[in-house]
Amino acid sequence: MPLVNFTTREITCKLVYYGPGRCGKTTNLLYVHGRVPEDRRGNMVSLATQSDRTLFFDFLPLELGVISGFTTRFQLYTVPGQVYYNATRRLVLQGADGVVFVADSQARRFDDNLESFQNLQENLLEQGVDIRQLPLVLQYNKQDLPADLILAPPDLDDAFNFRGVPSHSADALHGAGVFETLKTLSGLVLARLATRPPAP
Amino acid sequence: MTDALAAPPDFETFVLDAANRQAAAAARTVADASGMPYSPLVVVGAPGSGKTELLQTIAARIRAQHPTAVVELLDPDRLAERHRSALLVARGELFRAELVTADLVMVDDLEQLARHQDCEGLVADLLDERRAAGREVVVATSTPIERLEGLDARLVRRLAEGTAVQLSLPGAEARYAILRRRLHGVDTTLPVEAVRAVADAEFFTMRDYVGALSRLVAFQEATPLPLSPRDALVLIGAPVAPVPPSDLPAARTGDEFGEFLFEVSASLTEQVDRWRRTIGEAVLRWGGEGLRTRRLEALLSDEAPADPEPVLAAFEADAREILNLAAKAAQLAPDLAGAEVFRDPDQVTAARALVANAGSRAAPLTAPLAHYRWEDFAEGPSMRLPMMAARDIIAEPGQRYSPLVVVGASGTGKTHYLHALGNALIAAGVAHVACLGGHAFVAEVRALQDAEALAAWRHHYRWVGALLLDDLHLLAGERSAQDELILLIGELTEGRRQMVLTSTLPLQQLEGLDSRLLVRLEGGLSVELPSPDREVRLAVIKRMLTDTTARDDAALADYLAARPADSVRAVQGFVQRVLGEAAAQQVAPSPALAREVLEVMELGLSRAARREAARTASGVVSPGMGLVRSPEKIVSRWPSVADRLVAELR
Repeated sequence: MPLVNFTTREITCKLVYYGPGRCGKTTNLLYVHGRVPEDRRGNMVSLATQSDRTLFFDFLPLELGVISGFTTRFQLYTVPGQVYYNATRRLVLQGADGVVFVADSQARRFDDNLESFQNLQENLLEQGVDIRQLPLVLQYNKQDLPADLILAPPDLDDAFNFRGVPSHSADALHGAGVFETLKTLSGLVLARLATRPPAP
Repeated sequence: MTDALAAPPDFETFVLDAANRQAAAAARTVADASGMPYSPLVVVGAPGSGKTELLQTIAARIRAQHPTAVVELLDPDRLAERHRSALLVARGELFRAELVTADLVMVDDLEQLARHQDCEGLVADLLDERRAAGREVVVATSTPIERLEGLDARLVRRLAEGTAVQLSLPGAEARYAILRRRLHGVDTTLPVEAVRAVADAEFFTMRDYVGALSRLVAFQEATPLPLSPRDALVLIGAPVAPVPPSDLPAARTGDEFGEFLFEVSASLTEQVDRWRRTIGEAVLRWGGEGLRTRRLEALLSDEAPADPEPVLAAFEADAREILNLAAKAAQLAPDLAGAEVFRDPDQVTAARALVANAGSRAAPLTAPLAHYRWEDFAEGPSMRLPMMAARDIIAEPGQRYSPLVVVGASGTGKTHYLHALGNALIAAGVAHVACLGGHAFVAEVRALQDAEALAAWRHHYRWVGALLLDDLHLLAGERSAQDELILLIGELTEGRRQMVLTSTLPLQQLEGLDSRLLVRLEGGLSVELPSPDREVRLAVIKRMLTDTTARDDAALADYLAARPADSVRAVQGFVQRVLGEAAAQQVAPSPALAREVLEVMELGLSRAARREAARTASGVVSPGMGLVRSPEKIVSRWPSVADRLVAELR
C-alpha cells in the first residue's frame, strides 16, 4: 500500500523496476530523471560497475508537490538484474507499492526474461505478497530494434501477460513508452488509496 | 492552452452542418423563447460532440439578452454537491426553490446522475415543478433516453415526454470552420494547412480536435518554422504513415513530466474526492437516521481531510451504538425516547449513562392495585374538596397539589382513593407510578444493607412519575424511613412529580414523625376524607347490591343507606350481613330481612320472634318514597296481647 501519513499529509509511493540484467531498467530511470525539472527531482543514486552494470540499485526520488493537500513523493527504484544479486532484489522489493517488469524484447533474451519474471514472483511470495494483488505493469523494451531481432508485443503478452495486466512497448533509450509505463503504474498504485484492506 | 482558444459561445458564430443543425435550432429557440417549448429539451450526443458548448451558448445568449436572468447550468456532480451542501445547512428546500424559480435550468452529462441517486428524485421533481410553473429545462446526455440505465424510472419517463435532438461529430468542413473560429483572435503563425490537416484527421470527438489544435498552437509558438501538415499530424499523433509492426509509441518531445504530473494529480484528487464522497454519503445516511453528523462535517470542511477511514469507522460504530441505546431507552423509559443525547454520536458516553439509569428505573415498582378504579369511587357532597384535588392532580400531575395529604379515619376509603388516583394517573400518561403502604416503605428501607443498596433504592424512586404512600402514620418512630422520605420528597418536589400520602390523623396530631417531614408535607395540600354521607353510603350499597336479586329494591337500599355509619367499611359490613343472612335463609334480601338482621338480631331474639318483631316492631316503609320512618314514632299495627305475652315469656 502507498504510505499515506495523514498527520504530516504525505503520500509516498515506492515503485520498483524489475527485470533481467541489461533490459533497460536504469535507462528508464535516467530518461525520467532527464525529463523532471530540477526542483522536482532528487539526486539519482546509481551504484554501477565500471561496465555500467547496476551493482546495488538505482534510486530516483520525485517530488510531485502538494496534491489535494498531500505532499506527494514517488520513489523509483531499480533492482540489479544479475542473478547473483537476489538478496539485493529482495531488499529493494520490500514494501514496493507497484512494480514495472521491464522485459528485453530481444528474442535471445526470452529465457532471461522468463527467469527474472519467475524470480519476481518468488521474491514477492517470499515476502507474503501475491503478485495478483500488486499493481504490475509490463514494459516490452527495445522495441526499436530491428523486427527480426525482437519479439512483437503480442508474442510477449502471450508469454508473460497471462494475467492481463497493462503492458507498454518502449524504447527507453529514446523515451518512447517510458512515461506511459510510469503513468499507468502510478494510476494503479494511487487507485489503491481508496481500496484499503479491511481492518483486522 | 485550450482556454486560449475558447471564444465566447454565440449562436451567430455557431458553425452549423447536418450533424448539429437541428440541435442548434432547438437550443436557439430555448434561448429566445419564453415558456417551455420542449418541456424538456434533451440534447443527445456522444462525448465531445459539443453538447456542453451548446448549453453554454444558450446560457450566454440568455444572459446577453436578459442580464438579470438566472440560468443554472449544472452537471450531476455539481448538482449533487450543491444539494448536499444545502442539506447540510438545512437549506435543501431553499436550493430546490431556487432551481424551480430560475429562468432556465440546464443539466449537462445527465447519464452521470446515476452516480448520485439521492439527486434523481430532485431532478424528477424539478422537471415536474418547472413544467407546472411553465419553465423550461434542458438536459444533455451522451446516452439516448431509452438506453439510460440506473436512473429513476419516473425521471426517465419525464425525459421521454420531452423533445430529443441529436448532436453528432461535425463533418470535416464544419470541423475546419470550428477550428478556424477557435483561432479567431489568437496570435499564432500556425499555417491554415496545418489546421486543415487537423480537421481532416480522424478523431472521435470535437474535444480531441480542439485539443490537437491547442497543441499545435503551443508548438508553433516555440518554433520559428511554420508547421507542415505532416509535422502537424505527427505532433497530434494522427497516422501519417503505415503503422510500424510494433505498437511502439512515438518518442515524445513535449512536457512529459508535466503530463505525468497532471495524470497523477487527477488520480490522487479523484481518490481524495472519493473519500469526500464517502464521507458525504455517510453524512446523508446517518443524518437521515436523525443523528447529528458534526464529526463527519468537520472532515468535509477540511481542505485536506484527516484519515477518514478510522474517523468514519469510529463514527459509524458510535452511531450504531447510539441507535441501539435509543431503542433500549425507549423500552426502559419511554419519556427518554426523544432525548437529544440519543441523536448525537458524540454523546455516546452520556447516552450509556442515561440508559444505565433508565435500567435501574425500570425495576418493577409497587403499582396501584388495578381493581381500585376511580369510576367506582363513591362521591358525596361531603367529599367535594378531596375529589376536586384529585381531578386537578389527574389533569396536571405534580403541578398543583404535591404533596397531597389525605386524612381520614380508618375505613373512610383512603386506600381506595389512593390506588384509584394512581390508576387514573397511569391512564393519564404518568409513567412509573409507585403506590405502596407505610409498612412496605419502612420494610424496604430497613432491608437496605449497605451504601450500594441504598444508592440503588434511592435511584429507583428518584425516577418515579408519582409516589403514592398509604398510611403515613405507620412511619412514626421509623427514623431511617422518615429520612429517606424527606430526601425523596425533596427530589420529587424539585422534579415536579406528584406525591399523595394518606394518614389516619391530621399532620398536626401525628406523633413520632420528624418535624422536617411534617414541614415538607404541610407545604402541600391536606384534605379530609370524611365519614361517608348518605349519598356515599347509598352509592356503596347500590354497587354491592348490583349482583343480587335486590338490585332494584330501592326500599332496601334506602333503608340501608339511612343507617348511620362512620366509615364505608362499616356500610360494607352491614350490607354483607344482610346479604349473608338472605343467603343463609335462602330468601331474597328485603327491607324486612335487613331490619331483622340489623335491628332485632342485635337484641338476641329467636328467629320466629325476630321475624315477627321485624314485621311489627319496625318502622313502616312508605311505598315508593324510599323513606324510613322511625319505628318508635310510627306503628302500623300493634301486636295482639297473646303475641306480646308469648314474646315476653320467651
